[in-house]
Amino acid sequence: MPPQGCRHGAGDIAGPPDTGDGRAEPAAGYEAGPTAMRMLLGARLRKLREAAGVSREDAARAIRGSESKMSRLELGRISFKLRDVSDLLGLYRAGEDERGTLLTMAREANAPGWWQAYGDAVPAWFAPYLGLEQAAEIIRSYEVQFVPGLLQTPGYARAVLEIGAGDNPALDVAQQVSVRIRRQRVLHRPNPLRLWAVIDEAALRRPIGGAAVARAQLEHLIEMTRLSHVNVQIAPLRAGSRAVADGPVTMLRFPAAELPDMVYLEQHTTAAYLSKPAERLYYWNVMNRLATEALPPADTEAMLRQILREL
Amino acid sequence: MDFDVPPSPSAKIDTTVPVSARIWNYWLGGKDYYPVDKEAGDQFARIYPGIFDGARASRYFIARVVRYLAGEAGIRQFLDIGTGLPTQDNTHEVAQRVAPDAKVVYVDNDPLVLAHARALLTGNAAGSTDYIDADLSDPEALLRAAGKKLDFSRPVAILLMGVMAHIGNPDEDDDRVAQSIVGTLKAALPSGGYLAVYDSSDADPALNEALRAYNESGAAPYRVRRPDQIARYFDGLELVEPGVVPIQQWRPDHSPFGPPRNLSNNLGGVGRKA
Repeated sequence: MPPQGCRHGAGDIAGPPDTGDGRAEPAAGYEAGPTAMRMLLGARLRKLREAAGVSREDAARAIRGSESKMSRLELGRISFKLRDVSDLLGLYRAGEDERGTLLTMAREANAPGWWQAYGDAVPAWFAPYLGLEQAAEIIRSYEVQFVPGLLQTPGYARAVLEIGAGDNPALDVAQQVSVRIRRQRVLHRPNPLRLWAVIDEAALRRPIGGAAVARAQLEHLIEMTRLSHVNVQIAPLRAGSRAVADGPVTMLRFPAAELPDMVYLEQHTTAAYLSKPAERLYYWNVMNRLATEALPPADTEAMLRQILREL
Repeated sequence: MDFDVPPSPSAKIDTTVPVSARIWNYWLGGKDYYPVDKEAGDQFARIYPGIFDGARASRYFIARVVRYLAGEAGIRQFLDIGTGLPTQDNTHEVAQRVAPDAKVVYVDNDPLVLAHARALLTGNAAGSTDYIDADLSDPEALLRAAGKKLDFSRPVAILLMGVMAHIGNPDEDDDRVAQSIVGTLKAALPSGGYLAVYDSSDADPALNEALRAYNESGAAPYRVRRPDQIARYFDGLELVEPGVVPIQQWRPDHSPFGPPRNLSNNLGGVGRKA
């Protein structure tokens, strides 16, 4: 999560204004379901449009929308109306097979995500992350303050979320804990998500929720790193790694070759979803530096045991 | 317990010069390369457009070889030298699909490759994977490290897939060093062990031309060899049928479209130590 996040739900949950460059989206567009399907459909539509030699502007006109809407559709950032998809396929002179496939994808892309049942516990700016997390094949993350959300125990998650809730009595922390634990299913499905996390040593030494909770969390972390698809590297205090990232970073990779990596950066009341090539490259390099400077995964368990002893 | 932080000078990722493993990732349609790698890869492809198909053909060859070794040949220990960045059908995935208890040890000396391998090339519960940070130009040290992870008294397969081209000087027609390295590795093989190699031949002028430009890019030089030099890697071993051949012709999978045409200049084969 912010995946770790204490943050989500910390205050105003209104989405940020849409800047049209993919940094932020109107909350409404995110109500649509399975994100991966939408991204794939968007990417396929873009390929078809380019192959047909249709400009984005002309395509936008065909679906009575703006160029910016068209751009967001092709990035899979907003939900598709079947009628729009059908009109675009006509404009691009798509074959019958293609039309059938893409319209099916559009229907699936509009199915609701599991998180919609959790109401306000999932702020509008966080919901897209949940769709992306579920669609991802590999998630790389760097955590400075907390154990990654996907590896948290319910007790630790509760402590973290209570910090985030602050004085806001309107927040239902129990419900937020449920969301966090529900998210962890991605690590236990038949073809599980691969998680590659670099955690700052300081995050592991902080007794969040008190010694007992912190201890249980470290033991859970040891259990989780025994899974072959969960890899944790610890960035030791004496490594200079933190100079390259001043906060948590999450980078998601999707199985389809045509889907670019996505960078997710969470702040207290909003989040940024970065997918421009220069942004991806910047954070990919950050993650690479962190991973090469942190302890290798084979050292993680011994280090966690040492921290446990010293807690 | 003392934890040594690895950032030795060699652990730095160089983003200013192209690096072979990252260029290969680009050619194979991956997402793990820097702009400098794409540039070098594209420059190469302008002179030698077949490289994209050739890169895939070499991955298919590796998969067929590993499937043969884990299956028909019954090998359970693999030493894969020159791991590269994770891609589809990595060695341990292919091997463990056939033999779930297969153990694969990956060897590379690139910090980015090692970080990716340690985090992402992890095996299933029955088999396992391990990693060695070593350089092929020092085969004795490489074998010492491998000896701690694999049992060389039992059959081992050593894979040298597209890495021999990094050995030697591209300006000299001298493969003495290369033959000596392969010789050291062969000597370490127990009876019943295997050596699998593919290497680039000098038969195609366009490839040679593309490599001339590539070797000026600042990347670690890549050299091609005469077919007879590649064949000599297997001296002293029993060659598995069909011998040292263009890699597409090495035990091709059945295809309704007939045998594949030659997409690359790579020659490869598998030899067994008696």
